Amino acid sequence: MGTENNKGYPKFPARPAPSSSPYASAPPPGIPPPSGGPPTGSDAVGFRPFPPSASQPIRPFTPSGPPPAPQVGAMRPAQPSPFVSQIPGSRPPPPSSNSFPSTAYGPPPPPPPPPGAAPFQRFPSPPFPTTQNPPPQGPPQTLAGHFSPPMSLRPQQQPMAPVTMGPPPQSTTSGLPGANASPSPADFNMAARPGFQQSMPPVTPSYPGVGGSQPSFPGYPSKQVSQPPPMPFQSSQGPPGPPPVSSYPPHTGGFAQRPNIVAQQNLHPSYAPPTSNVQGLVEDFNSLSLASIPGSMEPGLDHRSFPRPLDGDVEPNSFAEMYPMNCHSRYLRLTTSAIPNSQSLASRWHLPLGAVVCPLAETPEGEEVPLIDFGSTGIIRCRRCRTYVNPYVTFTDSGRKWRCNICSMLNDVPGEYFSHLDANGRRMDMDQRPELTKGSVEIIAPTEYMVRPPMPPIYFFLIDVSISATKSGMLEVVAQTIKSCLDNLPGYPRTQIGFITYDSTLHFYNMKSSLSQPQMMVVTDLDDIFLPLPDDLLVNLSESRTVVEAFLDSLPMMFQDNVNVESAFGPALRAAFMVMNQLGGKLLIFQNSLPSLGAGRLKLRGDDPRVYGTDKEYALRVAEDPFYKQMAADCTKFQIGINVYAFSDKYTDIASLGTLAKYTGGQVYYYPGFQSSVHGDKLRHELARDLTRETAWEAVMRIRCGKGIRFTSYHGNFMLRSTDLLALPAVDCDKAYAMQLSLEETLLTTQTVYFQVALLYTASCGERRIRVHTSVAPVVADLGEMYRQADTGSIVSLYARLAIEKSMSAKLDDARNAIQQKIVKALKEYRNLHAVQHRLGSRLIYPETLKFLPLYGLAIIKSTPLQGGPADASLDERCAAGFTMMALPVKKLLKLLYPNLIRVDEWLLKPSADHDDLRDVSNRLPLAAESLDSRGLYIYDDGFRLVLWFGRMLSPDIAKNLLGNDFAAELSRVTFQEQGNGMSKKLMSLVKKLRENDPSYHPMCFLVRQGEQPREGFLLLRHLIEDQMGGSSGYVDWILQLQRQIQQN
Amino acid sequence: MVKMTLIARVTDGLPLAEGLDDGRDLPDSDMYKQQVKALFKNLSRGQNDASRMSVETGPYIFHYIIEGRVCYLTMCDRSYPKKLAFQYLEDLKNEFERVNGPNIETAARPYAFIKFDTFIQKTKKLYQDTRTQRNISKLNDELYEVHQIMTRNVQEVLGVGEKLDQVSEMSSRLTLESREYADKAKDLNRQALIRKWAPVAIVLGVVFLLFWVKTKLW
Repeated sequence: MGTENNKGYPKFPARPAPSSSPYASAPPPGIPPPSGGPPTGSDAVGFRPFPPSASQPIRPFTPSGPPPAPQVGAMRPAQPSPFVSQIPGSRPPPPSSNSFPSTAYGPPPPPPPPPGAAPFQRFPSPPFPTTQNPPPQGPPQTLAGHFSPPMSLRPQQQPMAPVTMGPPPQSTTSGLPGANASPSPADFNMAARPGFQQSMPPVTPSYPGVGGSQPSFPGYPSKQVSQPPPMPFQSSQGPPGPPPVSSYPPHTGGFAQRPNIVAQQNLHPSYAPPTSNVQGLVEDFNSLSLASIPGSMEPGLDHRSFPRPLDGDVEPNSFAEMYPMNCHSRYLRLTTSAIPNSQSLASRWHLPLGAVVCPLAETPEGEEVPLIDFGSTGIIRCRRCRTYVNPYVTFTDSGRKWRCNICSMLNDVPGEYFSHLDANGRRMDMDQRPELTKGSVEIIAPTEYMVRPPMPPIYFFLIDVSISATKSGMLEVVAQTIKSCLDNLPGYPRTQIGFITYDSTLHFYNMKSSLSQPQMMVVTDLDDIFLPLPDDLLVNLSESRTVVEAFLDSLPMMFQDNVNVESAFGPALRAAFMVMNQLGGKLLIFQNSLPSLGAGRLKLRGDDPRVYGTDKEYALRVAEDPFYKQMAADCTKFQIGINVYAFSDKYTDIASLGTLAKYTGGQVYYYPGFQSSVHGDKLRHELARDLTRETAWEAVMRIRCGKGIRFTSYHGNFMLRSTDLLALPAVDCDKAYAMQLSLEETLLTTQTVYFQVALLYTASCGERRIRVHTSVAPVVADLGEMYRQADTGSIVSLYARLAIEKSMSAKLDDARNAIQQKIVKALKEYRNLHAVQHRLGSRLIYPETLKFLPLYGLAIIKSTPLQGGPADASLDERCAAGFTMMALPVKKLLKLLYPNLIRVDEWLLKPSADHDDLRDVSNRLPLAAESLDSRGLYIYDDGFRLVLWFGRMLSPDIAKNLLGNDFAAELSRVTFQEQGNGMSKKLMSLVKKLRENDPSYHPMCFLVRQGEQPREGFLLLRHLIEDQMGGSSGYVDWILQLQRQIQQN
Repeated sequence: MVKMTLIARVTDGLPLAEGLDDGRDLPDSDMYKQQVKALFKNLSRGQNDASRMSVETGPYIFHYIIEGRVCYLTMCDRSYPKKLAFQYLEDLKNEFERVNGPNIETAARPYAFIKFDTFIQKTKKLYQDTRTQRNISKLNDELYEVHQIMTRNVQEVLGVGEKLDQVSEMSSRLTLESREYADKAKDLNRQALIRKWAPVAIVLGVVFLLFWVKTKLW
């Protein structure tokens, strides 16, 4: 162990030594150990701070004592005292997190303890007068079970390490079998352990018996005060054990290894130790009491207490603290930040193991990714695995060599990059080199990374001008929007632009800069497409600006009398491909009807109800004609990214059209039944966003990871060029990609695994760049730890993608069942982990980190692509939503799955003049019909739509103020606009704010009044996912269903 | 007809700009680009110092001019008038120096002046057709003398570099080997000396020893 620790330690040189914080705290009254030494923790319990135990006088937390054990000697020297020095500044010791860092990193024993003198501290024994429960002697688990130790104890009582308090612990035998040599803990835990064991003399007999409460512990008087539980959802069932008098604080969800420590569900909800920050205190697991027989609602079954993500997505941040040099979680989120160390462990983890990557995620102001130019040095990369230099590489040999963190290869440092190392082995120039301190950097690529000069941004428009397009007003909106965006297209002055329109024929436009008006050329031969002009179909925008503007001005007029109903989509696509294949670029397709002529002609599908429910059902959701996949593959090859805008109110076979977007890294926008008066704003905003957002061109992305693991499958909109290279012709901040990994070796021997995402792309300004995100996660040997580090957001994101993919090859039912099965399996495994020691009865238990998983699982099942049967959503809607969800970043997906529902009428009535106090309305409500009060006004926001729900009994004043004189009319005909009074302004500002929160889509505003069927059902009620509707279960039923399946063996 | 155009810095061969859709319709454009890159590399090593040169390659011909440490190179059909090609390069040079002049030395990344490609594109079109009035008049214009410009073959040009490399490598090898030879010779000398005198020394040693023993014993 000792060696392991030594080995591991140098790897994290920059990390503040958090572990040391405990020692920094004020020295407690040190008392030489009288009787029984402090319990040496089994690995599990050892360093977790214990609540003062009644029977146990001594608090053994300090690792300060010189270890009597032989290992100790070995490891001591290796662990230098420098830690101590770091202590003060490194990090304020939040008590709750103490245990975590210390265990994780194996804090070296405090600096200069002479082996002979054991400096460990103990608490005065007298303070524990009562033992309420004679504790069973024995396995730590039980002990643990009874307690969740308050974290705060430690810091307060922790003595200053260097202070020698007394003789070294006399007894080294630990009462807990295997305590000294426990094989299984997570790696870093192991490393830490030796120190601890040494320092704490185990007291066998007395130790386990901590059952009761100690009223007054010198250090913490306030402990007794129970506070409102941090975690609202605790079981209401009685405690299995004797109820402890005092409340035990929940333990931290940190890294302490405690496979067997389980917090009792019946813990007194809370107890926040005085000094602790509450958020650090997290239950080991939560449980829902479901004692009732399915169907009957017993009092124990309080669905109001079910977990709901009303605070939105919570990003896992424990790792951001632990590894400050990791890239931000907005770029890379692992499904669990603890990688299993063996295949068998991985197979017991039934949740997906992988990551969600959003390489270009928008950064908040001031956090831009630093741009680095290596100049003539060339980019520093590992010779063997091609990893880019990152904060986790280590420099050795006085700075002449560096060791790759991913493959451990020793590389030479080029002369220009050489820098001396200081005493700690850090490079002297660390501060000037962002690539050595930041997890996310952008590197300017030299010529070797270019197969051709950087391409200019290219936008090509393929516009359907058949009768439906002109009638719906789409053409006009599109022309206006493009024109208004011309100034904001990225990449001036190199930007190129071109147009083709089509109905039953193709129309090309010569926009040569010397012309004053564009020339239109019509090609009617659809079977043998040719370009009427070699050049000038794709022109430089800055040169041909006037021609382009003239064209856009006249476009709606040109076709306003068009009565052509045909759509030669396939040939038009081919023509566009021929124009673009020299340079690539972005192709925007505006399609209004089912492609009916030439190659790629599509048939009406999906109107045969008999197909549904059979094994052939899935065929409706995939492209029928191989033409589309072939075109998509060709386009990707030539760096053409396709975005599809579909407008028809009839069937347009989005499944086929969307294929184009799917394999070219694009996106599908669907506006069913487009009417410019209704959807105009939405189209305008979304098209403008599509045209003006920062885009990365001709990109490829690869994610590398350490030896022994491998990314095996990728999910999202892209084309795989080789086994692990994602080709992304055009990528932007609104696209995320998910991937799953698997273990190649049966046992991982490293302590950490590194991940590096590299995106090589051409920026709009013509620079070729590489964006590199690096992240690290520890390897663990314990399933419980994996659960503790799980990230619901990315798990849900992966699940959603898997389910949608499954729906492309199987029945919807199967896809839904698959999700359910996966959740059941995961929770069952978790239950097995804990059920042995506890009488869980009919409680559903789940880790704190996954408390929302069941709900999100339900939401996935009820999401548009997967919900219900053929009648619940049209085929096109399903497919469009599917394509969209495949590309959504985690946060947006979670919002779509569990939308915001907020009540606003009270807020509107409040007289405050300040429009910015939107915090008052951030109160999210559960998505159930019972949240809706008929006297209220509610906003439902899923990021794609805003629904304003007017209760039937809503005060007419409000309605009148908001809607003007139409307030009594049918709301489907009312347009929502500002009425010129304060209340209306306030609401509009709220709507605007909601829209600005997430600019990637423009949520349309719908108004609906309670009881206005069927609109109400369609717009809102159907999306209240906690309710039961048409054959699908509500939240309560769902939980019961899960529970039933979990208990079946 | 101009097929492709590249602008690079001579000092280190860093590409600065390139025509936009160069190599369109050209089956082996990649091969020619490789040749151009090799040529730039040669130039950056200080060879081929002629500031104007034509280099034949297959059915095409490279023309380049070097001015202000920047090399302007274009690839044309062999039939394309040399005069026009150099006129074209002159035009590019003038504009490039006007726009980017001060920044050329400090450019650090490849294609730092990629924005220039729009101008290349535009100018190229002017020179595309040799029969336009403008171009014919240029052809007839005797002001610009292109006859002295040397024409060589690409193999030769690229070969020169290789040969020079070979020679320098050979000479360095020679130095190395001669040094080795000297060392060895010295070593041999010493060995010969030892071989020659060792027996004598041994005999003498034995004799002296005997003498010494004798004196001691007696």
